[in-house]
Formats: sequence, structure tokens, C-alpha cells
Amino acid sequence: MEQRPWDEWIRERDDPGIARTQPEALDDLTVLDLSCKSFAGCYCTSMLAEFGAQVLRLEPPQGDFIRTCSPYGLLHKGEGLNYLTEGRNKLHVTLNLAKPEARQILKGLVSQADVLVETFRPGVMDEWGIGYEVLKEINPGLIFASITAYGQFGPMSRSRMPDYDNIVQARSAIQYATGEVLPEGTTYDERPWAVPTKAGPWIGWVQAGTFMAVGILAALHWRNLTGEGQALDAASAEAYACNDDWAAVWYQGAGVINERFGSLDTAGWLYCFAPTKDGAVFLGGLRLEMWQAFADMVGKWEEWGAASWKDLSAFTEEAMQRKWAPLVFAETGKYTNEELVGMSVAYAKKGRLAPITPVVAPVCSPEETMHDANWLDRGIFTPVNDPVFGELVVAQAQHKMTETPVRTKWVCRPVGYDNEQVYLKYMGFGPGKLKELKQAGIL
Amino acid sequence: MEGLSIVAESTWKDYKEKKHARPAPLRDLRVLEVCTLVLGPSGPGLLARLGAEVIKCEMPPLGDTLRNMAPFGYFFREQSTSLIRPNPNKYWLGLDLHKPEGQQVFHELAAKADIIEENQRPGVMERWNVGYRQIKEINPAIIYVSKTGFGQWGQYARENRPSNDGAAQGMSGYAWMSRFPGRGPLKNKLYICDSYGALIAEAAVLAALHYRERTGKGQYIELSQSEGIMRAMSWVWPYQQLVGTSAMPAGNRDVCLCPADTFRCADDTFVAIAAPDPDEFRGLCLAMDRPELADDPRFTDHLTRLQEDNAVEILRIVADWVRTKTAGQIEALAEEHGFAASHLYTIKDVVEDQHFVARGFMTEVDDPILGRFLDYEFPVMMSATPPKVKWSIRPVGFDNEYVMAHYLGKSEVEIEQLYKCGALGKWADVRGRRPPSNWDGKAGLLMARD
Repeated sequence: MEQRPWDEWIRERDDPGIARTQPEALDDLTVLDLSCKSFAGCYCTSMLAEFGAQVLRLEPPQGDFIRTCSPYGLLHKGEGLNYLTEGRNKLHVTLNLAKPEARQILKGLVSQADVLVETFRPGVMDEWGIGYEVLKEINPGLIFASITAYGQFGPMSRSRMPDYDNIVQARSAIQYATGEVLPEGTTYDERPWAVPTKAGPWIGWVQAGTFMAVGILAALHWRNLTGEGQALDAASAEAYACNDDWAAVWYQGAGVINERFGSLDTAGWLYCFAPTKDGAVFLGGLRLEMWQAFADMVGKWEEWGAASWKDLSAFTEEAMQRKWAPLVFAETGKYTNEELVGMSVAYAKKGRLAPITPVVAPVCSPEETMHDANWLDRGIFTPVNDPVFGELVVAQAQHKMTETPVRTKWVCRPVGYDNEQVYLKYMGFGPGKLKELKQAGIL
Repeated sequence: MEGLSIVAESTWKDYKEKKHARPAPLRDLRVLEVCTLVLGPSGPGLLARLGAEVIKCEMPPLGDTLRNMAPFGYFFREQSTSLIRPNPNKYWLGLDLHKPEGQQVFHELAAKADIIEENQRPGVMERWNVGYRQIKEINPAIIYVSKTGFGQWGQYARENRPSNDGAAQGMSGYAWMSRFPGRGPLKNKLYICDSYGALIAEAAVLAALHYRERTGKGQYIELSQSEGIMRAMSWVWPYQQLVGTSAMPAGNRDVCLCPADTFRCADDTFVAIAAPDPDEFRGLCLAMDRPELADDPRFTDHLTRLQEDNAVEILRIVADWVRTKTAGQIEALAEEHGFAASHLYTIKDVVEDQHFVARGFMTEVDDPILGRFLDYEFPVMMSATPPKVKWSIRPVGFDNEYVMAHYLGKSEVEIEQLYKCGALGKWADVRGRRPPSNWDGKAGLLMARD
């Protein structure tokens, strides 16, 4: 049997360039996105929309507040950049749920939908008479998904506090344990950067949205088996906190509270950012041979006695890390990022321990990342040609799939852009009726 | 409103108490993993929490590289502390895929599996005769997932570069922008590109499953952990395109929400505050006893408030105010006035948080080998089909006999032969691989206890 090289064979079948010719995994689903002031909600339904679900994005007549949450207040053609990236493949319609007539319309949509996503404070949907207990009578197969700060039950679930990304990061214990260490004898006034530090991107909200998408798809599988719908409840801080890999167990077993450790790694060696001539690289060698290969690669095999190392986990201990990190940094500081990466690739071919080689990766600015030929070739930054917003780069095609690849067909729509199409299709409202509803403040 | 909110409560009444008496959503699925470290095993670990039967194949006798990892060398009950979170509810098979007999066992398991997940370097599974092209001949409906640093094709994959979470934090721009201005890049404490890569890959797995239920067709899915995290970085890319510069580091300030930052309190602890929405902002101004700020033209409108000079000014005002208060006082005022605030939780705060415990998010595992401890529950509560953590990690090859007998109907003689040729194996007598020293030789074993 003729056997093509694997990378060629698979690229022919999963290159995002051919995605448009392929079927879509979820194109039999209708999703109502009622999310309010929540990037988590928008991100969740984007996950479904990328797989082909018909997502109806329902907003109040003036548009969702999240549209204004853009870096430094920057707008592109009137739209905030975060909303632009997560408006993808959705139909954007208005519905003023504060009005009873609008809730009747929502019930009509629910009877034709598979999934509903909402992010109101717990109790608001019930107060409006469109909570899960009511809607499941209309549609027993409905998957009713709520993403909130504190969740639907538990002692804090009636909190008035809204759900924002920086609060999620604060409540997860991740921010507390990330950041530069304040050297003893110095103060925050002298080093205002040596404090617990959150991640720049909206990772807390993204985690909540993605976890809910996975939960919805698991519930969909259950519905395929049994016909039964259900309610789903995600609290954003839980969706981020659960990624912690060892701190909770360490605390329970040893009573230790995980503290900041800069760009070293409390639980792994070799595993750190290291300064170089022109920036920094990540170094990884979580197997003994990879750490030995690093020592060899920088010419320290003899001097460091690498051949005699037996147990990698001993290097993980705090005193050992503090001893070895400066020695490693002194070596990396002799080279540029490019030189070090090249040394690692070359070592895999010709080194004493080849093909074993340490992980060496440059720390890039977003600008460098976006111009990296490797990523451009893989289609993650291929611009989308949007009829309203023009040619725009939003990250896409993160999954390469042979049958039902993700795709971004358009990026976004202004408020209420799709009212005519959606209300005619789902509710039979023509232009006359639509005008009346608009005048009455219902749409 | 009080009366009505009881309706929602009826859906969630006694959720935590009843969850083990309810079915799991993926209970009919079988998953095979050939995964190591965090990016690989975390995905099947999520499916296992959702009820799938996951068989974890490890290379005997050392198994998963993650078994080395432990904070400052601390092993939890003599097991790798890091191994726990990604690996609940699994069956542990010590299988050597270098051996033809091991490959044969894998083929037999693959014929009965729904999903295969692996995170070896590109081409390795194929060299072991268990690549997608080989498995789809045995099981055309298989959903086969590969998660790596750089995907299966392109320059970096071709160079066969190894990767870790930290590499993806570096190469995606995530770390570069997640620091204070003027400081060197900062690695996040989380293996976020591993755990997020694993999570987002499961969205594709379950979408593919739905497609298979409609059409009978399986497929191959690849994910690069760098591309996964790039997808999550949202505004960073259109900003680069439109403004022509990188998204700049901004410390703890959220440049898309204003005010939203972390502030230093009177007692040198820290509190995060967010109050961007008009009502929330007005609430914060009231709490600060500065109601006039809500009507200040620099601050009234969110888009105006987000502009650099205005944002810097309002954040300075809030910072000065917080410096006179404790985090507890700020949290109480936030609750009263309807904006968001939280002190920075330590891991102790998370583990002992009464709300997390009451919801069953911090969930007790009563493990036959590791004993009792709290682990994280899958963070989507499901009213009809609750996810749950039931048992924890096992030594290398711990469930060999069960997997061979239960899934493949192998006799004791056949199993013995597989051990003899080295296709099957158990743990090395090394910390993190062997059972805890107080293990009685029986607890947790599913077969052959005598």
C-alpha cells in the first residue's frame, strides 16, 4: 500500500483552507443566546456557532453592554473589539425582555430551540416568568445553560455582585500565586510590580464559556440518548479555579499555601522562562534526559556533572531551584532567542542524547506571533471577509478536523441587524408587525 | 422576587446530596488515551468526570512523565501531586506500544472504543501502528484526537519540536502581555495552555460525537495548544491588525473594562474590583462617598471612561480610596452597592470556601488508595446528569487484569503471556509509580485480589 508521509496526508484532509467545502457538526441545532454583560456567554455560543449551530443572539434594543468593553474604548466601525471577535456566525436580533410581550416571543423561540444560554443573576429569569421550570414545559428537550458569578445555588448565589473576568481571576487562587516575588527587605512601594498578577486576556470568562460549551454538548449527547433536556449551571470562578494542578492537594496534604515563584515553576524542573540576549525563552525538560540534554547543549555536561544526575524530582525542591536557576540564566544570557531555539533543533539531530532535546521556545509579543509564518500557514490568523466590518483578523480554525472543521463565516453584526430575517423565519412577523413591535419597544 | 426565585431552587434542590444517585451524561462512551503530562490526560479526565469509561495507557514501568512532578518535591500520599487533577475515574493500563503484542492489544481495544486521544509527537503513533490511518481501518467510526504543541503539519511540526505549556504561553503572546509594563515576561502559575488546550479540544470531540450520531461518521481532530490559547485571546488580534502594535502589558488593570483592577488595601493585602456598567459605577462612586464622579463627563460613559487619561485618573481615585480600607470592607460595600469585588483568594480560601463546598465544586473523594481529600468537580453542574469525581489516580498498570478480562475477555493464561513478552507491565519500584507504602495489596484492585 502506498503510504504518503503523515503530515502531507493529514494536511490534505484538515487544512482550514478546505473547511468551507465540508459539513458542519452542529448545523441541526438552534441556540438562543440571551447573555447579558458577559463575554463568557458570547464565547460559549461562539464555540457552538463555529461548529455550525444557528445562534440567535438576543440583545436589548440599545445593544448589550459588552459591546462597549473594548481596549481603551477603541471601536472599529462602531463596534468594540471583543464583541467583534465573538459575534461570529451568529444572527443578531433585539428583544426587550423587560416587556411581557417580549417574553411571549421568547417562549415562541424556545419552542423551536435546542439550547438557551443566559447570564442574568439567579432569579431574574424566574422573576420574568421564563425560568427553566417554565420553559421546560414548553420544550422538555431544552438545554438551559446559565453562566454567573456564583452559580444558581449555594450560600452566595443571591449575591448582587456581577461577573467580571478580573474578579474570576481573583477568586481562583491563580492570580494570588502568579507574579514576581517581592525580595525580602523590599516593599510594594519600591516594587509595585512584585505583586500577585492576573493574566492579560479574559481567560476567566473564556474558561467559563468553554466549559459551558462542553457541558452543553455533553447534555446534547444525553438528549440524543434519552430525549431529556436539563438545566446547566456554571459559576465562572469555579471554571477557572479547577485548572489548578496541585495547589489544593498540597495544601490539604502539607498545609502549604502556594505562593508566587516568578517565572520558575513550583512543581517542575527544568521549567521556566529564562532571560536571553534579546528577550526570553521558555525552557522545558521534564524528563531527566531532557534536563541533561540542556546541560549538554550549553556546554556544561562535564562541569555540571550531568552524567551523574539520577532523580529529576530532587531538582524541583525550592533550594535546588534557587541554586540552579541563576546558573541556567547565565548560560541563556549568552545567546539570542533565535540562537537558542536553533541549538535545540540541532541538538535533536546531533546531540549526545539525540533525538532527546530540551524544549526551547521564544517568548513572543502578539505582534511577533501574528507574523510567524508557521501560524500564518496553519490558518489561525487568516482574515475573515465580513460584509459589514470588512477584512478582519480574529483567531479561527483552532481545531483542524477531517469531517466537520470549525469555520468563521462572518465576524459580527450591528445591533438588530438580523431582526427581519429571524422574526420572519421563526415567528412569522413581516415588516408591518415588526414595525409595530419596534414602536412598542418590544424589539 | 423572593417567592419566584424558589422556582429556580427547585431545579437545584439537594443537587450535591443527590448527584451520585443520578446518571452521567457520557456513560455509554469508551475512551482510550495514550497521553502524558497535562495537555493530553486532562481532556479524557474531563470526559471521565462526565461518565465516560477512560482507559489510560501508560508505558510500563515508569508511565506518565507527570508522575515526576510535585511542588517543591512534595508527594501527596507518596503519589505525584500533579497527577491527580487530570486523571480521575480512569482505568490504568500498563501497555508497551513498542511491542507488536502491545499494539495488538491496542487494536482490540480500539475496535471497541468511541474516542482515542493522544499527545505524542506527530508520527509517533503511526510508527507504533496505532495512528489514525491504521485505527480507522479497524474502526471507521472512531473519533481520534491528537493534541500537540504545533499541530500535525507546518514548519514547527516538521522540525519535530517538543513543546510544553510554557512554550505555548511564550509563543502565543499570552505571557508577553500578562505582566507589568517594563518588566520581563512572566510565566503564569497555571499550565493554562495545557488545560485550556485540553478543554477546547473536548468541545471538538463532543461536536464530532454529535455528528457521528447523525451520520455514523468518525473523524480525526488535531489541536495545537498554542493555537488553542490564541483563540482565547480575543481582541489582541484585531487590535494588532487595526492599530499596528501589540496588546501592551497592563499589570492588573483590565484595559477593556473600567474601572477593573487589583488594588492594595490598608493592610497590604489585595482586592480586585470591577464596576464598568453605569449602575455598578454609580454604586462604586456612592461607596466611595464620591457620587459626583458618576456624573463627571470624563467618567459617565463607559467608552469615554476607558480612554487612557480618564481610566488612569479614575483608577488612581479608586486606588487611593482602597488604601484606606480592608478587603472585607470593600467586599461588603460591593455587595451593598451592586458592583463586584473580591480579595485575592489563596488556595486555602478556595479549598475551604463555604460556597464552593456547599455547591460540591470542592468535592470529597473517598479513594480506596489515597483516602479522603477534596478535588475539583467538573465546573458545570448538570441537573439531570451530574458530573462527578469518584476515584483518583493509580500506580502504573494497576488495572491491567480488569481491562484485559472485562473489555477483551482474555484468560489468565493469555494475560500471563502478555506480561511475559513485555506487552503488559506494572509499576517500577520508584516513588510516584508504586502504590503508597501503607497499601494493603488489595484496596482498589478490581480483579485478582487474592
